[in-house]
Amino acid sequence: MHMADALVSPPVAIASGVVAAALLAVASRQVRKDTRPSLIPLMGVLGAFVFAAQMINFSIPGTGSSGHIIGGVLVAALVGPWAAFLTICSVLIIQCLVFADGGMLALGCNMINMAAVSTLLAYPFIYKPIARKSTKPWRLMLASVAACMVALEVGAFLVTVETEASGITALPMSTFLLFMLPIHLVIGLGEGLATGAVLSFVAASRPDLLISDKDYVGNLKSGKQAKKRLWPVLAAFCVVAIILGISYTWIASGDPDGLEWSIARVAGDAEMGSITPPTAIMPEYQNSFSGIVGATMVIILLWALTSLIVRHNDRRHRPATQKIVVKNDKH
Amino acid sequence: MSIRFDSPLLGDGTTSPNHLSDIDSRALLLVTVGYIVVMLSVPVLNLGMLIWFAAYPVVMAPLSHLSYGRIFGRSLITLPFILLIGAMNPLFDQRVAMNIGGIEVSAGWISFISIIVRGLLSVQAALILISDRGFNGVCRAMGRLGLPSVLVTQLMMVSRYMQTLGEEALTMNRARRSRGYGRRNYPVKEWGRFIGQLLIRSVERGERINRAMVARGFNGTLPRNFGRVRSEHSWETNSTVFMLIWGVVLFCMRYFDVSAIFFSGY
Repeated sequence: MHMADALVSPPVAIASGVVAAALLAVASRQVRKDTRPSLIPLMGVLGAFVFAAQMINFSIPGTGSSGHIIGGVLVAALVGPWAAFLTICSVLIIQCLVFADGGMLALGCNMINMAAVSTLLAYPFIYKPIARKSTKPWRLMLASVAACMVALEVGAFLVTVETEASGITALPMSTFLLFMLPIHLVIGLGEGLATGAVLSFVAASRPDLLISDKDYVGNLKSGKQAKKRLWPVLAAFCVVAIILGISYTWIASGDPDGLEWSIARVAGDAEMGSITPPTAIMPEYQNSFSGIVGATMVIILLWALTSLIVRHNDRRHRPATQKIVVKNDKH
Repeated sequence: MSIRFDSPLLGDGTTSPNHLSDIDSRALLLVTVGYIVVMLSVPVLNLGMLIWFAAYPVVMAPLSHLSYGRIFGRSLITLPFILLIGAMNPLFDQRVAMNIGGIEVSAGWISFISIIVRGLLSVQAALILISDRGFNGVCRAMGRLGLPSVLVTQLMMVSRYMQTLGEEALTMNRARRSRGYGRRNYPVKEWGRFIGQLLIRSVERGERINRAMVARGFNGTLPRNFGRVRSEHSWETNSTVFMLIWGVVLFCMRYFDVSAIFFSGY
């Protein structure tokens, strides 16, 4: 479900990035208040665990997305929703930076689709009411399956909405949804069963690891005070996100393309029609083939030149000791 | 994708001192993010403008003593996903957008190529950053740019515990092989126990490591200068110049038609 940079437009990425940043700020404050001694190692280990689990990918043909388990519900059941959000976000950052899975610009979208939906939506509103205080395997299994299926479906729906809002692909939204929702329902079922099995095992052998009601109530109580101060900040972030998105789109649609701009400057508006080939029915999208070929050649030349200059510079500035070693070797 | 939990990229990078060594990690991170934002803001069908943005990785890779061919090869790993993103465009968008020697090329094909180029370039920029500074360097840069210290600590912890998890998985696998007498297939219900066991073993080892760290003064947050290496001491003039140069170059590539300037006669 990782969205690549190529799939998102800057307005969508910036808006979702602002929302994700606000959630990260809230999560950091909540985790800092948490006094559980085992929280830091637990978050680290669970992050590594989810990272490994997310490597199992199912490609979804024709949509550009891939399906895999998210692990948000599992982590939330062990460390609580805010710490889980932070854990899943850290996994997403590592995947994006080190393993090129999901893009840097699409990070905000991925954090919302995968981390926020599963830990801040599916866990408190689906998992908790079903699982209650019980550690019975069937109840844990039922809660996990329901929460994971909802998390995957909502996440998949958001991927479709963000893709459509970006306007990069020509795939109609209905077709996209037809691809995304059924496959993620199946993946959600699989993730739910796996989560339920692992949680049942944990409940049987280390029940203290499952987040207790005391911890949960404690978090809520400490969260209440913070909520009063944080809500205005959150609301401000959301307003900024919306304003940014709208204004950027407006500016983007008002600006001419670089090609249009330069043609208008070079030839004047009146001559636009005369330089447009008769076959082009979309003059605003006109690409110059010679321009593309020329640009590619210049880029190759630039690469060769930079490599040569860097190599030449390195040779000139090589330490004198190395030269002496070479001379000695000859003798 | 083959994953190595002990990848040097998860540490302090792989490259020796190079032409970017004196540039502050924050400047490098900001330029990389800026490059990706500006490059992706190019209209999908304006392939002529997009090609110019390849200048960033082809210049930065040699400056960082990295082989661009290797960076390009690594970025191809993401190609299947990127191909799937754009595969439908030629089918759904058949408006004519270009004419090459009498052959009409549809907008769908142009946008398909454009999506591939955008995907590859953004991955290459991120790979150059992480190869030069390593994951720890980028984490420290993010922390110095204001990312919450809790998140920075968590990022560094996850990268360290990956190795712990990998070691525990190897130990369990060795135990399974030596006790299984060649048995390879296990029923699905056993896998829940295997994975649960792996999780609990890793958590218990993580708790032991944490107790040892607490005994040595760890208070839950890694210090900001933890493992700080070259180019992370202070912001110097060359970092400002580096940012300004790339700022101007990216602005020109985005808002001026460079192809028209160079090849206006063709």
